[in-house]
Amino acid sequence: MKNEMYDVLIIGSGHSGGMAAKILTEKGIRCLMLNAGPVADVSRDVERKRASELPYRGFRPPGQVDHVFQSNEFNANVWVDEQEVPYTFDPAHPYNWVRVRLFGGRSLFWSRQSFRLSDYELKGASHDGYGTDWPIGSADLAPYYSRVEGIFRVTGALDGPPQLPNGNFILDDAPWSPSMQRFIAAAKPRGIPVCKQRRAMGQNGLASSVNLLLPDAEKTGKLTSIANAVVRTITVDKNTGLPNGCNFVDRLTRREMSVRARVVVLAAGTLESTRLLLNSGLANSSGVLGHYLTDQIYGAGLVCSVPEARNGRSKGLMGGSAIVPRFRNIATRSDKFLRGYALNVSSSTGDVDLRNFAAYGADLQRKLEAYQGSGFHMTIMGEVLGRYENHVHIDNSMADTWGIPVLHVQTRYTDNEFNMAKDAVETGKELAHTAGFEVLSSNDQPNPPGYSIHEIGTARMGDDPKTSVLNKWNQSHDHKNLFVVDGASFVSGGWQNPTMTILSLSMRASEYLAGEMSKQNI
Amino acid sequence: MQRRQFVHAVIGVSVVPKVLLGQKAGSASLPLPAPVPWTLGLNPRTPLPHTVEADAVAESVPAFFSERQMATLTRLADVLLPPLGDKPGAVLAQTPQFLDFFIGSSSAERQDVYTGGLDWLEAEAQKRHKTPFADLDNEQAGVVIKPWLRTWMSDHPPTELHADFINIAHGDIREATVNSAAWNATPTTGAQERTQNELYWSPIEPDLYGESAACAEGRAHVLAAPRLPQFMPEYKR
Repeated sequence: MKNEMYDVLIIGSGHSGGMAAKILTEKGIRCLMLNAGPVADVSRDVERKRASELPYRGFRPPGQVDHVFQSNEFNANVWVDEQEVPYTFDPAHPYNWVRVRLFGGRSLFWSRQSFRLSDYELKGASHDGYGTDWPIGSADLAPYYSRVEGIFRVTGALDGPPQLPNGNFILDDAPWSPSMQRFIAAAKPRGIPVCKQRRAMGQNGLASSVNLLLPDAEKTGKLTSIANAVVRTITVDKNTGLPNGCNFVDRLTRREMSVRARVVVLAAGTLESTRLLLNSGLANSSGVLGHYLTDQIYGAGLVCSVPEARNGRSKGLMGGSAIVPRFRNIATRSDKFLRGYALNVSSSTGDVDLRNFAAYGADLQRKLEAYQGSGFHMTIMGEVLGRYENHVHIDNSMADTWGIPVLHVQTRYTDNEFNMAKDAVETGKELAHTAGFEVLSSNDQPNPPGYSIHEIGTARMGDDPKTSVLNKWNQSHDHKNLFVVDGASFVSGGWQNPTMTILSLSMRASEYLAGEMSKQNI
Repeated sequence: MQRRQFVHAVIGVSVVPKVLLGQKAGSASLPLPAPVPWTLGLNPRTPLPHTVEADAVAESVPAFFSERQMATLTRLADVLLPPLGDKPGAVLAQTPQFLDFFIGSSSAERQDVYTGGLDWLEAEAQKRHKTPFADLDNEQAGVVIKPWLRTWMSDHPPTELHADFINIAHGDIREATVNSAAWNATPTTGAQERTQNELYWSPIEPDLYGESAACAEGRAHVLAAPRLPQFMPEYKR
């Protein structure tokens, strides 16, 4: 029915929007979901090809998505086109904003590493005096994490130290490979824990909103979804001052439309949700909206080779992956940096990349043959400190394809992050040498901010409306019927892949919202 | 404007077959009187013409590198990736011609790495061997190239002058060759790289209107990152 008043408008269809839709509709609440992009139908949009059939032989087409280092010619069309939805930054401090506007958003493509935050992150300020504590602790989140882990079918072992809380896992009891055992033996005397990797298995290899969350919502008959709906502004009731829907433009036809709802839930992804709030002039009585943008440092690490696994002796020696949770600044204090980093560790039975050899031609080919199946990798996932000055604001000098003002991203890493990356590589080298591995290549420089695709903050939660945008239920301090359920609510990020936390927060916020609606408080 | 007319034309023809197919359903047993409109037979059973990649039969016309640069690049590609076993080398895979096209359409920063690097190689060859790089034997070329080989991790190529070009070009030459039709056509053994074979995503409901109208008028989008002495990978890809 046209111009119908929905109970809840959900903007965004990724993990956070999908979870909100599932929880709310299962409680009988009628939801309207808007997504800025089309539905991806693999039977229509995807086919298997060889790079030799493509015009650019697999290289990313020049100029298409310059800031998506993860892209190549095969997947270039899934990312948001930087021409279509631009953003700006100081050229001296680039930002890699990696976006997907397909239905399901980035939940279609994430790496599925699944970790809980611990109180070392949620109450980090109490631990080391830096920054601000979250208004909630790990005990508040634990029951939601457990349910999310069940839905996403997370594998792992119950081997985490306090900084890596255990969860509701499908237990991984596979033995460590001998190369991993050597690594563990090198790490243990240094007090460095090595745990089984934790990863969402989902269903059929996909752990996305489109297969794990949205089908449940659709089953209720309470969800209506619109694709290609690019939201321009959230609208406000003139009498009450409360949000009451939104104006959107059809991505393809440019037709201007509007919808109405009693409650607005933003789930467009950290920076798009904040951009929408800024463009709508909402939820910013604190002046904090847009600030405290953080992510995680990626890109630093090292590639090693296990000598005994070379020349065809890989089998039985190599294989498996591990997570080394943060070990700095837990029991001791580093004088080089606050907080800490994790290492992703993998023992590979595949090819070793040619970049690891200063050789070419037949000489290189001999090395590739000899080293095949002996690669051992360590890469960093490091915490970026929350800083007020790392922020986004609207850049009114530029608009996107639909005339919506774009974001200016102003963020940079500091010595805390650079020192952390250096420490990770030095520590990795020490471990490799102790384990008897040869270090082939290393890099201690992080990729540009944004690269991890873990942007968080900019609408942080807190108990004080003067210093935070949302309360502990992801609800705007300023507008009781406005919620932001994606990564924008984070106060700090830790080193952990944020997906499990985003999902748990969205589940928790949605149940709170449903309760408030049933009590007619909203 | 042309593009919009094209879109309208496409929309127009897409409507026609449904109408005609509807007519056909009503008189299925009777052959239609000739001439049959071409649109009638376009359906999922219509045989598709078989085509080959242009590379398979056509020569590409060099358009970006100078003749001297192209000769240097061709020799460099042959030295870095010669034919090995059954596999074609970079030259047989037409990698220099591909790079002329690919680098020619890449960012100015990446173009500069190549043109500067190729000119430097030629100057080094003249200085050390008093011979154009294109005419150096493998040993002579090795004297110029080997001091600049480095190991590196993805997204972080060497930033040192000359080492940047040698290592970036080596990676590109290797990838372009492995992903060529000539490489793919020969059997792969051992640790030889395989031609990438992945899921290719077509443009999904592409926004032709935006592409032709709004965006064409906008100014350059995200500003390019300049070279920095530290921290960020300045490898403009």
